[in-house]
Amino acid sequence: MIHLNELNALSKEQRPAVELRDVWYSYDGRSYILRGIDLKVLRGSSLMILGSSGSGKTTLLKIMCGLLKPSKGSVSILGAEVTDPSNGNHIRRQIGYIPQQLGLVRSLTVLENVLMGALPRMGFVNSLLSIYPKSEVEFAEQCLGVVGLSHKAGEKVYRLSGGERQRVAIARALMQKSRIILADEFISELDYVRAREVMDIMSNLRREGVTLICVTHDVDIAAEYGENAVILRGGEKVVEISARKLTPDLLKESFNED
Amino acid sequence: MKIKRTNVQIWLSLLIASAVLLHNMGFFDPSRLKTGLANISLFIRELFPPDPSVVGQVSWAIVETIQMAFAGTVLGSIVSIPLALLGARNIISGVPNAIARLLLSVVRVVPALLWAIIFVVAFGLGPLPGTLGLAAYSLGYLGKLYYEAFEAVDPELLEATKAIGCSKLQQIRYVIIPETANTIISQFLFLFEYNVRASTILGFVGAGGVGFYMLGYIQLFQYQRLMTTLLLTLCVILFIDFVSAKVRDRFLIHISK
Repeated sequence: MIHLNELNALSKEQRPAVELRDVWYSYDGRSYILRGIDLKVLRGSSLMILGSSGSGKTTLLKIMCGLLKPSKGSVSILGAEVTDPSNGNHIRRQIGYIPQQLGLVRSLTVLENVLMGALPRMGFVNSLLSIYPKSEVEFAEQCLGVVGLSHKAGEKVYRLSGGERQRVAIARALMQKSRIILADEFISELDYVRAREVMDIMSNLRREGVTLICVTHDVDIAAEYGENAVILRGGEKVVEISARKLTPDLLKESFNED
Repeated sequence: MKIKRTNVQIWLSLLIASAVLLHNMGFFDPSRLKTGLANISLFIRELFPPDPSVVGQVSWAIVETIQMAFAGTVLGSIVSIPLALLGARNIISGVPNAIARLLLSVVRVVPALLWAIIFVVAFGLGPLPGTLGLAAYSLGYLGKLYYEAFEAVDPELLEATKAIGCSKLQQIRYVIIPETANTIISQFLFLFEYNVRASTILGFVGAGGVGFYMLGYIQLFQYQRLMTTLLLTLCVILFIDFVSAKVRDRFLIHISK
């Protein structure tokens, strides 16, 4: 048994879910938003990214999911290079990206939004005519079940509460069959209880091998639900520790140093 | 409070300039003004009483006018949506975008009446050139309104779907169109209202509808028949504006949710 565990640990070590090597990013070629970020996130682990506004957290996530190309350095997802164009869509399917405002289409129903996660695996005509195979619809209903929203499947998204919308976004990420979920401060508008409900759903997913990378302002949430944590300042990684050791003082300290 | 001297100078010079312009137009010629006012009162007296004998004939012409307006708006909006998608910078960039925008602005520069004249020359008299004229005008106008609506779609939605791996067409189908559907419908209705009003005049150039009768009555000095036509047209336009405004309100309320 011990031997097996070691083997598991070794394979985790060899193929991290996300690996960034010396990543730099600039919009204009002059000022850099990210400066030489090195990061390794193991499969099934959870990483919390903290930092003041404008420290490059969102940019970092967008680079991980391939929305932005790094100006310098390389990014690999589950061992495949993101910068290699031949990997493009294949990599996107591995990653569920939940932006800050969730990116849900408010005028469509909950089920329609979740089904959007299946669009890249569907044929051209069927996807435009919304002819989803029965298996996909059943899978979408399962995903809604995981986040506890089966009863709202036919509801338009603009009728949902904030917490329910977060859960739709998670269900859509699940629909992508993604192995990695990137979430950008998506629980920041929720109250104490709702935020923990949503995070509980996320940590349950981790048990099934999903890797979780969250940007958050909330030290308590980060310490409770994170395994590791990094703090960014001015586009640089200034702290990388076990999430349990996060304290408000540490955060304050790493925000203020200039 | 002390009045600034420069302000007085600006207002005074504007006043003088207006007076000079009005004089050049013949506004200060008392004998001309007098005959003009007398003619107007004569004209107004001759409008009454309205002649009810043409109600049937004119009503059919008004129905034709509305049909032209509706068909023209539908045709124009159907063509405008793909062009507007090409013209929206958040969907398509570069040369195709510039061409679509240029095309739309060229179409928009030409007024509906001129389009109608062009199509009358091409297709002959009747409601067909009128419909095509309104369609061309609607295309230019709706195309611009639609690409502006498409560009106002939350960029995060497009980013989120791009991150999922959706294609451009899938983004259009599931993000752009649903998010702007209310605007598309309410602008369509607005332009329909406008086209009903505009199409009454298209008959003047032989492009069908009630305007054809209006011009005839004016040329034959049948002002009492003209009055009947004007009253009927007014009633129908007010009714359409009222209904359309109510429907648009419903869609706009829906947007703000």
